[in-house]
Amino acid sequence: MVGIVVVSHSAKVAEGICELAGQMAAPGQKIIAAGGIADGGIGTDAFKIQAAIEEANTGDGVLVMVDLGSAVMSAELAIDMLVDELKDRVAIADAPILEGTVAAVVDASIGQPLVSVAATAAGARELRKR
Amino acid sequence: MTKIELVLTNAAGLHARPAAQFVQKASSYASKVTLLAGTKTADAKSILAIMGLGLGQGTKIELTADGPDETACLAGLQALVESNFGEG
Amino acid sequence: MANINAAIEALAQAIIANKEMLTDLDSAIGDADHGINMARGFEAVRAKIAAANPGDDVGAVLKLIGMTLISTVGGASGPLYGTAFLRAAGAAQGKTTVDVEIAAKMLEAAIGGIKDRGKAVRGEKTMLDALEPAYDAFTQGMAEGQSLPACLALATAAAAKGVEYTKTIIATKGRASYLGERSIGHQDPGATSSYILLATLTDFAKANV
Repeated sequence: MVGIVVVSHSAKVAEGICELAGQMAAPGQKIIAAGGIADGGIGTDAFKIQAAIEEANTGDGVLVMVDLGSAVMSAELAIDMLVDELKDRVAIADAPILEGTVAAVVDASIGQPLVSVAATAAGARELRKR
Repeated sequence: MTKIELVLTNAAGLHARPAAQFVQKASSYASKVTLLAGTKTADAKSILAIMGLGLGQGTKIELTADGPDETACLAGLQALVESNFGEG
Repeated sequence: MANINAAIEALAQAIIANKEMLTDLDSAIGDADHGINMARGFEAVRAKIAAANPGDDVGAVLKLIGMTLISTVGGASGPLYGTAFLRAAGAAQGKTTVDVEIAAKMLEAAIGGIKDRGKAVRGEKTMLDALEPAYDAFTQGMAEGQSLPACLALATAAAAKGVEYTKTIIATKGRASYLGERSIGHQDPGATSSYILLATLTDFAKANV
């Protein structure tokens, strides 16, 4: 199953989203939080993200969810630091972080490939609430 | 093509975890499955479409399945809904 | 450079001293944390250098700085300055002194890193608007045979002009770009911190080289 990494400027947000999405995950689904910086403060840390991606990969690639602005840059830096074989199998979702993660987890849980999981996550941009 | 009518009796309705279970179950069959609630329709295999409907407890839904395993498919989905998605 | 560790200490002090000014700039056209983030990053750099004692290899020191900034700055400056220092480290690997040629290569590599990471070019109201003119001025001085302190001084003067220039243009990158036309009239925080780093290096070079 495609692994999911949740990158937020806030460690609590990342953990909370992982907890919520975990409710819908299949057994063995990797959903790894990578929020905040080393001292627990607000921000993103490319090394933390790199480690999370490596942990989330079980052979089918990884989709990285991001919140705002510099999270994308940190995620890109993290991906640059991966070994070549893994680098090609990681994508950054263009999606709202919470709704996108939930949608991605459901898609991943039925064994869909990375390209489908990424597209499903992106579909969350259109989700209306009212 | 086969149709079936069901009522959502679980507390959460077709949100979050139940929605995920519904989509995962529907996706395990080859048949095309459509959900109709009032005037709104959704592909039962699309988590976003199902979550977007926002269906609560008590909603009547009509499921239509079309394909080689359509009967088994609707039976599976019926069992899931009627078991309150495992919520008891 | 006489002592790389002393130079780094000077840089850290300068950034920390300017924490509020940089944050104020970032309040106008950003999310009001550039100074806070940079100060936190350079405090961590100070602590890391003191603990690790990486010795005289300039490349090793710069690499440690880059890695530290990446994990501790938090905002966009982390990956940007972090990559800049890592690339500069590559140009200075194994060197225990820095001459004009090495300094030029370090600056070129740093700028390349920022462009790769940030996907920006000159004229978008970013740190590149201070650093690219600085590099041009530095290499101009180098071609004229000037000393390292003199080249750095030219680079700093060009960076200062670059910072002023950022006031006149619209931001098309980063958080400031959300403000569009309202970003005009405000100087870019990243260009400002780049200028501070260059100015501090220049003073250090004048006193020690």
